[in-house]
Amino acid sequence: MNQQLAGYAPTPVTARMENHGRAMLKVAMAAGQDLYARTGSMVAYEGFVQYEPNPPAVRQIAAQWVTGEGMPLMRCSGDGLLYLADYGADVVVLHLDNDALSVNGSNVLAFDAHLQWGVERVKGLAKFSGQGLWNVTLSGTGWVALTSLGTPVVVDCGRGEDETYVDPDALVAWSPALKVKGKRSFTASSLIGRGSGEAYQMAFSGQGIVVVQPSEDSTDRLRVRG
Amino acid sequence: MAREFQRGHKARISDLTPGTDLYVGVRIDAPGLTFDISCFGLDAAERLSDDRYFVFFNQPKSPEESIQLLGAQAGDTESFRVTLDRVPDHIHRLSFTAAIDGAGQMSGTGSGYLRIVAGGEEVARYAFDGSEFSTERAVMLGDFYRKDGWRFAAVGQGFDGGLEALLKNFGGEVAEEEPAAAAPPAFAPPAFAPPAAPAPPAAPSSAAPPSPPAPAPAAGTPPFGAPVPAPAPAPQLHSAPTLAAPLAPPAAPYGDPPQPGAPGHPGQPPHPGAPAPHGQQPSGHGQTPPPGYGQPPGYGQPPGYGQPPAGAPQGYGQPPAPGQTPPHGRPPGYGGQPAPYGQQPPAAAAPAGGPGLAAALQKYRETPTGQRWTPQNQQLMRVDLAMGGTPVLARQGSMVMYQGKVDFGYKGAGFTGRIVGNATGQEMQLMRCTGRGQVFLAEDGAHLHPIELQGDGICVSAENVLAFDESLHHEVRRIEGHGIPGGALFTMQFQGSGTVVVKTRGTPVVLPVTPTTFADANAVVAWSSASQVILSSQVRLRRNAYPGHSGETVNLQFRGAPGNFIVVQPYEV
Repeated sequence: MNQQLAGYAPTPVTARMENHGRAMLKVAMAAGQDLYARTGSMVAYEGFVQYEPNPPAVRQIAAQWVTGEGMPLMRCSGDGLLYLADYGADVVVLHLDNDALSVNGSNVLAFDAHLQWGVERVKGLAKFSGQGLWNVTLSGTGWVALTSLGTPVVVDCGRGEDETYVDPDALVAWSPALKVKGKRSFTASSLIGRGSGEAYQMAFSGQGIVVVQPSEDSTDRLRVRG
Repeated sequence: MAREFQRGHKARISDLTPGTDLYVGVRIDAPGLTFDISCFGLDAAERLSDDRYFVFFNQPKSPEESIQLLGAQAGDTESFRVTLDRVPDHIHRLSFTAAIDGAGQMSGTGSGYLRIVAGGEEVARYAFDGSEFSTERAVMLGDFYRKDGWRFAAVGQGFDGGLEALLKNFGGEVAEEEPAAAAPPAFAPPAFAPPAAPAPPAAPSSAAPPSPPAPAPAAGTPPFGAPVPAPAPAPQLHSAPTLAAPLAPPAAPYGDPPQPGAPGHPGQPPHPGAPAPHGQQPSGHGQTPPPGYGQPPGYGQPPGYGQPPAGAPQGYGQPPAPGQTPPHGRPPGYGGQPAPYGQQPPAAAAPAGGPGLAAALQKYRETPTGQRWTPQNQQLMRVDLAMGGTPVLARQGSMVMYQGKVDFGYKGAGFTGRIVGNATGQEMQLMRCTGRGQVFLAEDGAHLHPIELQGDGICVSAENVLAFDESLHHEVRRIEGHGIPGGALFTMQFQGSGTVVVKTRGTPVVLPVTPTTFADANAVVAWSSASQVILSSQVRLRRNAYPGHSGETVNLQFRGAPGNFIVVQPYEV
């Protein structure tokens, strides 16, 4: 038994955030380096890690989120190894090196607390998509972990002369430098119930990347757990 | 069915197959990278004591031809034929490795596998993908080794240094020592001299279960230092992988994974957890001499390596292999450190970065291939409408992204189509994608499989159709039968030339149609249209005695000439 399971033992830590398999994130916590993580995403930890739901900082930055239920982020601090996961979704670990990234709110798993971050309401039609009403803009130097339902794909926007249109339900992250606008593809026929099923998209133009997941899960995975 | 291996798994060859004449295929999908895939025949001390057993592109077979390089075939990037019973006795281990030729790193690879085929049947497969690696330039994929007969171990351990580091690890020598430049040396192959002596520390360190967790700060002189310069770094490098070590040693503090087989973390070849080998090196030294790699005098002046200062954690001086740029001081792992966590200097974390944003996302990049249908990964399909010119019909709502000018229109499914929607309660509504541009299709993270038809036909269960070329002739058929939910099973039959994209939940199985092929009506995905479907209900008295049972009563039986197949998914709708 031991032998079969041994393949899943944690590997030695080499970086602050690492994948353990596809769907689990391993964070090496250290004193003074706090972390914001999705509430309820902790699956295991070793060492002394404390969790603070509803941290005041979040409350300030994300005043708009407050819907009376509490915050979708918790602040984790302490020393140890922290394992996070979100319903088996793929975890993508990124290191921002003086970069900026805008992430769909429901695809944020964790990020370093020292990053600059802010919450924006999604503008335009996309807010009706059910995928969450807000996105998180992160910038600075530090680690970020995203979730994606399925293996994501990264597309360069600057490649074509045309804009890139993304189904808001499938959007994971994008470069904030991109220009975003909503595009509706309603036609007369779609208004009477025979749409193509793709009623609106977000159009990106400019130089940057867009990360898209292969799933259009529209259930609100943001709901605070536990 | 092939047995799936994970990193660290081991098995007896005799449990996999009775044969000893094996085909070993390695496939690595890495756009833009080329690989040297080779096999090292090692002696009991895990040294390449006989360089005739280094089988690679310049030396395609071992002297008695027990190991032969076959080249790319059957979907494999490289393949070997290994006749285990002819491998001479002094060869104890065959290690299959892949090294990047030229620039690049392992994290840039897509998926890959190492598979073992015996008697025309795949018996084992170890699949890996680039996400398990980071900056490595070579990887040990799997080993055959002797321990009461031959066994196989899936290793998956990366090496930062590329082929030459692998060679050194195994005690070989590269003929011309390239200077520290990261560029892969021109590598003049078969000239390595057999190592002076099989470095004694190697064997014990690998075979022995780990000794005490705290590395013995063995005074400044490595015990083996003087005589054998070349193999010096080897012990740490391969202390971890795949040993024949009997069973898990007692669980030590973490960072010390109980199994030596589960070891090497990408980017960190030496296994901090297996402390024995480190004990030999002077504590606290970064031990990182890229140029002179392996020469003891190199100790103590770690150039530019952002390792914590000496005197801090001892026990891992992990050598970043040559070629790795060291701006990121690797935050010390927990490995083998009894006093945990503490040693992570807070300052180290910020620079402890990995590659930047672009590099981290590199493996998810769009992969344009110039074909009309291109799988981006298992779950995303890209179709280039400009190519071929025919519109694509896709399930409504399956578009996740598009570039270019594309119109999405309603496509009436016709009368039968509406019946499908009504009867099954499932909207089989299609949309028609026209224009010029690339459309990315996906649905619920289901696995997608493009099936290209060239005049032949296939029936696909209606729920499993994601998209298809409009040029295909398609019709909806129903299979009626008592007991099928909804009264009938709807299938779409496709005929002609074009591509159908079928989605499955999970990895499907493709079965040949034999006189006794049955499938659950809810799990069957597709079948070749030449096979005939018969509904077979198993009526059993006992079952029917229980009201409301939900057993497997309705099955589809398939009949057809040899060559027909059915596809079944591991998920019942």
